[in-house]
Amino acid sequence: MAHHNEDEGSIGTSMHGVTAREQVFSFSVQGEDDGPSSHTARFDDPTAKFALPVDSEHRATAFKPFSFAKPHMTAFHLGWISFFTCFISTFAAAPLVPIIRDNLDLTKSDIGNAGVASVSGAIFSRLAMGAVCDLLGARYGTAFLLMLSAPTVFSMSFVSDAGGYLSVRFMIGFCLATFVSCQYWTSVMFNGKIIGLVNGCAGGWGDMGGGVTQLLMPMVFHVIKLAGATPFTAWRIAFFIPGFLQVIMGILVLTLGQDLPDGNLSTLQKRGEVSKDKFTKVFWYAVLNYRTYVLFLLYGFCMGIEMTINNVISEYFFDRFQLELHTAGMIAASFGMANFFARPLGGYASDISARFFGMRGRLWTLWILQTSGGIFCVWLGRATSLPIAILSMMLFSVGVQAACGAIFGIVPFVSRRSLGLISGLTGAGGNFGSGLTQLIFFSSSRFHTADGLSLMGIMGMIFTLLVAFIHFPQWGSMFFGPTSDERKSKEEHYYAAEWTEEEKRQGLHEGSLKFAENCRSERGRKAASDGFSHSTPPENGNPAHV
Amino acid sequence: SRISMAIHKSLFASLLICLLFQISHGATKERLFSDLEKGALEVTAKPSRESVLDAGIDKLSITWKLSSTATKEAEFTTIKVKLCYAPVSQVDRPWRKTENELFKDKSCPHKIITRAYDKSPQSFEYTLERDIPTGTYFVRAYAVDAKDHEVAFGQSTDEAKSTNLFSVQAISGRHKSLDIASVCFSVFSVLALLVFFVNEKRKAKIEQSK
Repeated sequence: MAHHNEDEGSIGTSMHGVTAREQVFSFSVQGEDDGPSSHTARFDDPTAKFALPVDSEHRATAFKPFSFAKPHMTAFHLGWISFFTCFISTFAAAPLVPIIRDNLDLTKSDIGNAGVASVSGAIFSRLAMGAVCDLLGARYGTAFLLMLSAPTVFSMSFVSDAGGYLSVRFMIGFCLATFVSCQYWTSVMFNGKIIGLVNGCAGGWGDMGGGVTQLLMPMVFHVIKLAGATPFTAWRIAFFIPGFLQVIMGILVLTLGQDLPDGNLSTLQKRGEVSKDKFTKVFWYAVLNYRTYVLFLLYGFCMGIEMTINNVISEYFFDRFQLELHTAGMIAASFGMANFFARPLGGYASDISARFFGMRGRLWTLWILQTSGGIFCVWLGRATSLPIAILSMMLFSVGVQAACGAIFGIVPFVSRRSLGLISGLTGAGGNFGSGLTQLIFFSSSRFHTADGLSLMGIMGMIFTLLVAFIHFPQWGSMFFGPTSDERKSKEEHYYAAEWTEEEKRQGLHEGSLKFAENCRSERGRKAASDGFSHSTPPENGNPAHV
Repeated sequence: SRISMAIHKSLFASLLICLLFQISHGATKERLFSDLEKGALEVTAKPSRESVLDAGIDKLSITWKLSSTATKEAEFTTIKVKLCYAPVSQVDRPWRKTENELFKDKSCPHKIITRAYDKSPQSFEYTLERDIPTGTYFVRAYAVDAKDHEVAFGQSTDEAKSTNLFSVQAISGRHKSLDIASVCFSVFSVLALLVFFVNEKRKAKIEQSK
């Protein structure tokens, strides 16, 4: 049997395990297993030394969120808190804009353009981060990002005009690539059966940073003013807080963290024969799959809209309803904090609908959640009284964040070979959508912010119609059932199509075939009556969230 | 079904509460700027020097007195003097927009002084606060009645807001000590990372050579 392995270092492996549906291996693996647990361990280390139960790769098979046990739970907490800290830094300016715009004499265009810049950097840094983690390991990947972008946060003290403000926000935005390092780290630390739940929590709790910052920064600003600083200096001092958090987290990651269950990358030796998948192939199959582009756009209108709101909502409530800065911040914060339960909820809803209706259920769930998010966004723009605005905003937040969770219930099935790249591209689509919506609706005086919100909601609903175009020959789509062609309606046909005949002869597609067998549950209730041998598809919990 | 009934009831209740809020809010927002008596007060604002004024340092000499054309003088209880944006400072800045509804109007956000109404001419020496943004301004004095509703006003410029305007330059908000602290912490962050990295690579080499 041919070796089927993904050694760390091969392109694309950094994103493996990001979604719940494939096995992630740190080291080379024999091909004849039907699950990670039957693999013979290559080291003699007793697994009893780990606080959590582990499999043969020493990846944890249990998830205990209240534990900080080394190395697994430590890695989880360090990972999601690092990501959380970067969200705080990226959106730290947003609740302070009413002060910053007076200090720097900004126009509405200046503010909008800076908002676009703050999310654009991460489009590229997220794509590059995968390779960085492959080369340096998750620990250094995270620490590099945190500690090299901390100076950009501190440099807010030098900003004196619109150009400087935009440059600094652009540079700070690069650190959102910690999403990738966080998910990579949990993927090498946790078993495939629970990786969905683990990644979902890490992603959702990290995203909460965008909400917490709306509360934290006005409070810090207020305290600094009470200590005697004038407003135009106080906001600059306030930026030191996210900067400190980043440096502290960076040091914690370096001292307490560990790349892999058995040690750090530089002190472990690589073993086994390697057959790395070629980047050109992985890239080719991602580019050829039309669903990649659909997901890119769809994610732009759930995560993208969420990030746009992080940038504009505090100023919106401050101006429209004449609130105090910290009151506006509190309301804006509840939008981002809903992530704590809304994202897992979306993934869970996707999993439940798949149990009954298979992939078609997942697609309908996504469409319903994202469209209701759009409807409530329109309502938020129309609301002229504070209670209605808050109500519509909360419903909007749940809809759009649950949609983010639901999208990653679908991403794992789009491709097996190019999974990592497609997951990364979907994530980048979120940043793209955010930049686009901010540019169109919130960067010029063409629209009042309220109208901008409503129009953004309508645009989101229109783009969400694209879900109807995601069609799987083996499972169908929103309006069509699976193809009646006997050959094409097999999952194996879809996933094996990503390998050439030559590669199939070498047996390189074995992993894809195994995966195809595992995802027969995506046929819905009919799958139960097919009487297939049920492998280990991780049905519990949700796939990863960006 | 019981759950759906409960959901319906709570939705209805919240809708009702929201409607009540709407009604109560609507009542207070009807007072318009155009209803106020124009030019009831004669207001002058003389900057302490001819060039652009520095916030936190330069002063304005403000005077106000009752105009001969005023008719609602009996209602005047308090005079509220405010610093207002000239049209050029409102361009592409919707948070400074002039609105007719007094509650919504955002063109005069900076309070200068509030004094009880006195028949005799009043004056005040105002030092520009340190949180005044860069811009072009004029001064307006609102005459407020006992119910805290504006009834009349006077301003230091004409109706088109084009004469007697003065410019202010805001403080930068930057401080040398802040700049130094920023550089120090940035250097620390980068150095700490490099030290860790180099140290670990060295330890790994030593272990490999053993």
